[in-house]
Amino acid sequence: MNTLEDLKTAVINGKRKEVKAIMPDLLDSGFEPSAVLEQALIPAMSVVGERFKRNEIFVPEMLVAARAMKEAMAQLEPRLVAAGIKPQYTAVIGTVEGDLHDIGKNLVATMWKGTGFEVIDLGVNVSADAFLAAIDQHKPHLVGLSALLTTTMPAMKDTVAAIRNAGHTDLKILVGGAPITDSYAAEIGADGYSRDAASAVDAARKALAA
Amino acid sequence: MTSKQRVIEGLNHQEPDRVPVDFGSSFITGIHCSLIEGLRRHYGLAERPVKIGEPYQMLGIVEEDLLDAMGIDVRPIFPQRTIFGFPNEDWTPWTTPWGQQVLVSKHFQTTTDPHGNTFIFPQGDRSAPPSGHMPKTGYFFDTIERIDPDFDEDELKLEDNLEEFGPMSTEEETYWREQAELSRGSDRAVSVHLNGTALGDIALVPAPFLTHPKGVRGVADWYMLTSEEPDFVGKIFDRQTEIAIHNMEKLHKIAGDVIDVVVVCGTDFGTQTSLFCSVETFERIWLPRYKKINDWIHKNTRWKTFKHSCGAVEPLLDSFIESGFDIINPVQCSADGMDPQLLKNKYGDRLTFWGGGVNTQQTLPFGTPQQVRDEVIERCRILAPGGGFVFNTIHNIQARTPTENVVAMLDAVREFNGMAAP
Repeated sequence: MNTLEDLKTAVINGKRKEVKAIMPDLLDSGFEPSAVLEQALIPAMSVVGERFKRNEIFVPEMLVAARAMKEAMAQLEPRLVAAGIKPQYTAVIGTVEGDLHDIGKNLVATMWKGTGFEVIDLGVNVSADAFLAAIDQHKPHLVGLSALLTTTMPAMKDTVAAIRNAGHTDLKILVGGAPITDSYAAEIGADGYSRDAASAVDAARKALAA
Repeated sequence: MTSKQRVIEGLNHQEPDRVPVDFGSSFITGIHCSLIEGLRRHYGLAERPVKIGEPYQMLGIVEEDLLDAMGIDVRPIFPQRTIFGFPNEDWTPWTTPWGQQVLVSKHFQTTTDPHGNTFIFPQGDRSAPPSGHMPKTGYFFDTIERIDPDFDEDELKLEDNLEEFGPMSTEEETYWREQAELSRGSDRAVSVHLNGTALGDIALVPAPFLTHPKGVRGVADWYMLTSEEPDFVGKIFDRQTEIAIHNMEKLHKIAGDVIDVVVVCGTDFGTQTSLFCSVETFERIWLPRYKKINDWIHKNTRWKTFKHSCGAVEPLLDSFIESGFDIINPVQCSADGMDPQLLKNKYGDRLTFWGGGVNTQQTLPFGTPQQVRDEVIERCRILAPGGGFVFNTIHNIQARTPTENVVAMLDAVREFNGMAAP
């Protein structure tokens, strides 16, 4: 008989196949979907984030944990929907136009899911118009923009401007990516910046509380 | 003192007459083709389309007249085939998505979709799935991850990830013989990329040069493999190392006397803030294989070994030295723990810093010429004393960088070297 602790440990260690086996067992033995999320998955991703911040684990270990988390969520999400449980916050995330890099963006998306947000991932090479359409459709509390390249930083700036010009002045926008800095984030009118995926949870919570 | 002597003296940790300069000798110390056009115009050189030497990052070939104008001390011999698996031959005009007329190999075969995305075919083979993608507003290609339909993660096959590694072909031997002849007697130092010694360079994992790659070819999948199956990765590297040493023996016979620097490895171990693996993992998976390669080089040749890794790799520098690397590039001073003075004090007598000259994420593309000049002078002041420094930007000069900033950078190096601007 598996416990929530078993699931948490399996996610932390990135054991996707174990997670795949544990989840039906937990869900069929009467654990509430919300308990699985709040007592196993969210704490697991919190541990992963903390270990990453302390340089005890690195991107490969984050990726295997994220993959295990994704496996758990694939099984859990229908149950959450059926139970009428809605996440407190919704986020839209994507890599800006002209930029095809997504490892950092994917890790941020997973960490946000791992803190209980609903995350709509628009993928890579996302135009400002596509961000605007997704904002209209999903009414998010938070938008995350990623850019790896100096050549696509202007597209990030243009996307922030397009979102603001469309009237979304209170919508929280967070930015990240290798060449991005705190001061650049402030300069282009974003509400926050995060230097890595683990800190992106803190940055999002800070922006949403502001 | 010739350029070649200057570079060699610097690499031997003696202070040469002036700081040696590299631009264009490798695929990580190069110049985006758009900037080469601007620099040619600035220096009043004949206007002609730039040749694309490295089509993945769209790096242009820095021709002799521009090498002279920029005061560059190193020249390359590029690999016989590009990263997309074709030789650069029979130059053909091509218009880039940003409207620049360039010259590309006749095997540079692309297609464009209705959204303006450009896709390039491996080996120029239009019947294969494309292996590179340049977005409409992009300035270079990224690799496309082509998934092997027969791939089974529970049955990893060593040979699937070894398809691209094999003995040097006769065609390649001929190429090296010709290229060596062209470079023999050059006043400039000669740098070459070794083939198959990178051990897991993430740009090469998706195998953009193969028509139908097999095995683990996804970027994230590869990183996960290093964490989950370190022994399997080690076995792949053992085989690659054996093949590489065999090929180095051939290369040494053909062109050993011409070569001064070998780029052994472009595998990145750092992010902006941290590492891609622990020091222990590096020492377990990579160090013994790199050491085998570098030990062979040092025992049999006078080549200096060049290691590229972006990011915050200070915790790994002792391991790089133990692996037998003589040179570290690009010296990303803006990453965590990569303060240039600290690096010079701690490692300056054992490692040559090839790069570190100016920040290409901030100062060079977005700063003023004065800010560029100040940063360049400061870096030269820190890194030049006692030799062990070759001036280069931190990675390639990127598209959309103002030409005037590149000129300000080169003028600042001349100023530091006590020379008048051209």
